[in-house]
Amino acid sequence: MPAFEPFPGLKASLFSLLQVVGPPLAGAFRERPAKPTAFRKFYERGDFPIALEHDGKGNRIAWKVEIEKLDYHHYLPLFFDGLCETVHPYQFFARQGVHDMLEHGGAKILPVIPQLIIPIKNALNTRNRKVICTTLKVLQHLVVSADMVGEALVPYYRQILPILNIFKNMNINSGDGIDYSQQKRENIGDLIQETLEVFECYGGEDAFINIKYMVPTYESCLLK
Amino acid sequence: MACVSRVDGNAKPKSMSRAKQWTGEVENLYRFQQAGYRDELEYKQVKQVERIDRWPETGFVKKLQRRDNTFYYYNRKRECDDRDVHKVKVYTY
Repeated sequence: MPAFEPFPGLKASLFSLLQVVGPPLAGAFRERPAKPTAFRKFYERGDFPIALEHDGKGNRIAWKVEIEKLDYHHYLPLFFDGLCETVHPYQFFARQGVHDMLEHGGAKILPVIPQLIIPIKNALNTRNRKVICTTLKVLQHLVVSADMVGEALVPYYRQILPILNIFKNMNINSGDGIDYSQQKRENIGDLIQETLEVFECYGGEDAFINIKYMVPTYESCLLK
Repeated sequence: MACVSRVDGNAKPKSMSRAKQWTGEVENLYRFQQAGYRDELEYKQVKQVERIDRWPETGFVKKLQRRDNTFYYYNRKRECDDRDVHKVKVYTY
């Protein structure tokens, strides 16, 4: 015998009223635009010894002063501050300027590391995909730019790794398709893995445990 | 390729051809021409320098001073792509 229902349709309407809604988004991946940077202010005042040159291949920086003679304590943190920029020419100058200064800095880079942490953290905290990719590549370059830099960064992992923990699994599931962002080194998940491996290789004995503390899903590339 | 080191410092080139494939010498010529010079010989003539800053591992030019006295810095690794090789001019003295 079918069950007795005194008010047919009431059950269905009750169910529609009692639908459970999920929690609101926390906004972990929401982009947070950076405030105007000191880099932009100094650039517009003409305080940087650089000029933009257009050649057949694109843009290039011409330095008005030899990089070896620059005060790294003053200029390197300013260029790192410009990593938050997303607009041309600020973005280009910051990126290329950082690259040139790291390439030719040698022993002048190590004493400046503590002043670079806040700009790096600010760039990562924008949650902007391109800014994060650029900053990760800069971090890889920084670690290999001079001796002991990798080990000098270990005490600051607690400030720069949390944001990497959020984006670590940002890999596109494209099935059997081709992910061109991997070729161009713009896939955030892969870049983070690469960066953490570089940190571990150049960070000394304590590097892995400190990385593991901040990014628990990271597996060592040296202890396999 | 031009044998620059055995030529008189004030010599002018007799002929020019385009590079066909990439070599270390083509890479250095590319870097000099990016900075506005024909090759190492002209750079030494104009700037009156004996030695040029090079990367120790690869021997590629590291730093050049342009005619307007600004500086160009070059990477350790190859910068001249295959698509730019045919644009590199090779001068014969």
